[in-house]
Amino acid sequence: MEKLKVIIDGRECEAIKDQCVLDVARENGIPIPALCYNPEVKTSGGSCRVCLVEAHQGGWMRLVTSCNYPVRKGLEIKTNTDLVHKIRRGVLELLRARVPDSDVIKKLALEEGITEPRFKKDEGEDNRYKCIACALCAQVCEEVVGVSAISMQNRGADKQPGTPYHKPSNVCIGCGACVYVCPTNAISMKETGDIRRIWSRDFKMAKCSMCSKPYIPEAQIDWIVKTTGKARAFFDKCPDHR
Amino acid sequence: MEAITSMEQLQRYRDRLQARQKRDLAAVLVCCGTGCLAKGALKVADAFKAEFESKRIKANIDIGLKTTGCHGYCANGPLVVLRPKDILYHKVQPEDVPEIVERSLKGSEVIERLIYQDPDTKESIADFHQIPFYKYQVRIALRNIGIIDPTEIDDYILQGGYHTLAKALRMNPDAIIAEIEASGLRGRGGGGFPTATKWKSAKAIQSDVRYVICNGDEGDPGAFMDGATMQGDPHAIIEGMIIGAYAIGSNQGYIYVRDEYPLAVKNLAIAVKAVREKGFLGKDILGSGFAFDIKISRGGGAFVCGESSALMRSVEGKVGEPRAKYIRSVEKGLYDKPTVLNNVETWANVPIIIEKGGAWYASYGTKGSKGTKVFSLVGKVNNTGLVEVPMGISIRKLIEEIGGGVLSGKRFKAVQTGGPSGGCIPERLSDLPIDFDSLTDVGSMMGSGGIIVMDEETCMVDVAKYFIGFLVGESCGKCTPCRDGLRRMLDVLIDITEGRGKETDVAVLEELCDVLTWGALCGLGTSAANPVLSTIKYFREEYDAHIKDKQCPAGVCKALITYSIDAEACTGCTLCAKKCPQKCITGERKKAHVIDTEQCIKCGVCKDVCNFNAVRVA
Amino acid sequence: MIEVKKVDAIINRYEKSEESLLAILQDFQREFHYVPEEGMQRLSEVMNVSESKIYAMGTFYKTLSLTPRGKHTIKVCTGTACHLKGANQILETLERGLKIRRNSTTKNLNFTLECVNCLGTCAMAPVVVVNEDYYGSVRPSKIMDVLKKYK
Repeated sequence: MEKLKVIIDGRECEAIKDQCVLDVARENGIPIPALCYNPEVKTSGGSCRVCLVEAHQGGWMRLVTSCNYPVRKGLEIKTNTDLVHKIRRGVLELLRARVPDSDVIKKLALEEGITEPRFKKDEGEDNRYKCIACALCAQVCEEVVGVSAISMQNRGADKQPGTPYHKPSNVCIGCGACVYVCPTNAISMKETGDIRRIWSRDFKMAKCSMCSKPYIPEAQIDWIVKTTGKARAFFDKCPDHR
Repeated sequence: MEAITSMEQLQRYRDRLQARQKRDLAAVLVCCGTGCLAKGALKVADAFKAEFESKRIKANIDIGLKTTGCHGYCANGPLVVLRPKDILYHKVQPEDVPEIVERSLKGSEVIERLIYQDPDTKESIADFHQIPFYKYQVRIALRNIGIIDPTEIDDYILQGGYHTLAKALRMNPDAIIAEIEASGLRGRGGGGFPTATKWKSAKAIQSDVRYVICNGDEGDPGAFMDGATMQGDPHAIIEGMIIGAYAIGSNQGYIYVRDEYPLAVKNLAIAVKAVREKGFLGKDILGSGFAFDIKISRGGGAFVCGESSALMRSVEGKVGEPRAKYIRSVEKGLYDKPTVLNNVETWANVPIIIEKGGAWYASYGTKGSKGTKVFSLVGKVNNTGLVEVPMGISIRKLIEEIGGGVLSGKRFKAVQTGGPSGGCIPERLSDLPIDFDSLTDVGSMMGSGGIIVMDEETCMVDVAKYFIGFLVGESCGKCTPCRDGLRRMLDVLIDITEGRGKETDVAVLEELCDVLTWGALCGLGTSAANPVLSTIKYFREEYDAHIKDKQCPAGVCKALITYSIDAEACTGCTLCAKKCPQKCITGERKKAHVIDTEQCIKCGVCKDVCNFNAVRVA
Repeated sequence: MIEVKKVDAIINRYEKSEESLLAILQDFQREFHYVPEEGMQRLSEVMNVSESKIYAMGTFYKTLSLTPRGKHTIKVCTGTACHLKGANQILETLERGLKIRRNSTTKNLNFTLECVNCLGTCAMAPVVVVNEDYYGSVRPSKIMDVLKKYK
């Protein structure tokens, strides 16, 4: 692993070649806000544009998304300039108008001095109106879980995640990974008794033999057993009692 | 049909084809470019076939009869060219055909009413090379279009086709790249990236597999250069790609063609099949040991797929979203392999550059922009069509001398160049040269070659709204600035054009333009600001009129205009009253009619049907 | 009911590779006037590609439609040259005349009205294509008459 140094906000930081600027900055205590990036999901990032920073290299400068911009020799990054803040403010204002009820967006926007967006707020019931279309849910479902039950549908402003025809998917395993990674809590997952409802499908949950808490969908156990060969008995107990 | 396996065999094949043809064979070439087809060119071609049969003329033995691709002079179609004198007949109808055969093919007369007449001097010109529209052109990329039948590979071979391929396969691949470099060829799709540099970069990456792709997803509305080339001379593209693939070390190519060009898809498929049969695609091409083949990939109605990384995802069978990661396609493109993606026109120039040499190509054009460029000249101009001129020609010369000036003698107001990524340039700047860099300096770009001429009846705010509206529908939706910023811009522009403009609107538009330019993920977003910023820069008074005075000076924005009837000009023919969908025009026969402006929906039908120019829009 | 035989016949025209997905979906569109659910499901099985990805393609590419299109498709070119020469007026006249909005289909499934971005026939702007018939220099007062022959 080739090590190199990159300058961020005037500070020399150690980095590994091809590491992303965002990770290097965070490791060095330099905060850069971000929404659509998750280090566990390799295909994530580049969508929300909140993490834009100035990249100076070889005499030119441009704004780049720090979550997927690879560090290289001779790179200098500035995270705090007027331009960075101006564009970040613009992006957050657009997100505030798209998803008016998101607390995490409200907080980030406030940090850039935005309380209310100048644009008419989007309004509606389904998850499109809580969603910033960052695709983390679809990416984790494909890359980490491996079932691709959901995908990003449509083009433009109506881009949103879902199952085909928004019908219950028979490849979904009810694991909730999509809910876990979503930066704006846009995906609904409800549990009643031993039934978990997600993406319009009811999943029967298996109970822990120790505490009787329903903790994992049977379908998820089926999937893990099928793809890893793990013994089914492993799932008799929940993580707290294993 | 046996494959041709060596340069010598190709030469003999071509000699045989040439021998079969009578010298100076008289021929009729019927233009079947999309424009002429839409005007009934096939009926004209059929009329010639029928007339030949009835007069016992053996087609292509006694007298040649061909259908060709787009001649470019679309405003005057259906077009027919008579060889060998290159007489161009305009607006030919099936009824004209017997006379043409009798007088111009069997006889040697020129039919006056069908040839070009100069609108000022009234001079008639039969030989189309002398017509202003063609006189100033230098047809390099378009060299074969209008001359050959694009569905006949033998026509292409007769023009020297694939001879250059045979020559190239005996050259050192680096020597090929050196000729391209000497030519100064820059990408013709809009990016203007030096072609040789791109090829060298892809070649330098260590990889067992490399790809070459032709970007035929010409999505700029108003541009049809690539469509005409794919349809009218597909072999030029194919030959260019085989040469390029050989130069960089690629064995698989793709031609991505948009679905909205069914004729291009068809002719490309016919061409690829024919090329395979001849042995110029496949294994051991012309005995060189080089193997290469081409797949045709159809688009699905997505402008964003013209962006290279989105195009590659689409070829791979995915949704056409551009890649967010900062990776160059020459390093990791299609299937993460080194990929050279070039535009149709770029590929079409490759064979002739290798044939005549890079220095020859570089003798045309300007210092920074060598060679020629194909433009689609459309809008409010007399001679709408396709032209190819050396880089550096001024906008004014293109529009006035080649284009024949603004339609109906109206005032030339502006040109829009570069499609939705370009901007509007006002008339006062039209002495600027058209090349890669001069237009960028003034806030537009040459782009892929679309040139839209606008007159005094074009509302520049409406133009900005049009382009942003277009982009809103085409945004892939992945990044915030484009997905959400464009539609907010559209809302503001709609408000302005509907009389709800606010003093702060222009500033808001400019802010959103910054967010797009600096923050968007791909070229669609980063260049979206151009139409808005250029119209604000050069036509600010129009924005102000809409916002402050609630007026549309050009008479376009419906909410701000009123239709009325000029009582002096109106003859009371009642036609408008009959056609009005709202039934809101009243009047007695032979007396001036009146429009009830409360009911009027400004549909324009009355103005359209009035034969006396009595309907006023203000 | 969509016949599996027809679906399979279309799929078998092409190489069994993901590269063929879009072309197959386009062929479904031409054959059935839309992309049927059964078609996408079968394609998913045969190509071993998740249904969600194929569905995403169906919603992304505008030449594809998930709901049946009309027997006759009217495409109004809204490219720049056509826009400047009054494409919008043509579109509005058709919307009024057919009593449907753009990008929708008449109740009797006879006509679908769509906008298309540049057909390359800019010299004849404004242009309307009905099925494969091109009409150039179209006038608002005449366009509804043109449709009369399409039953």
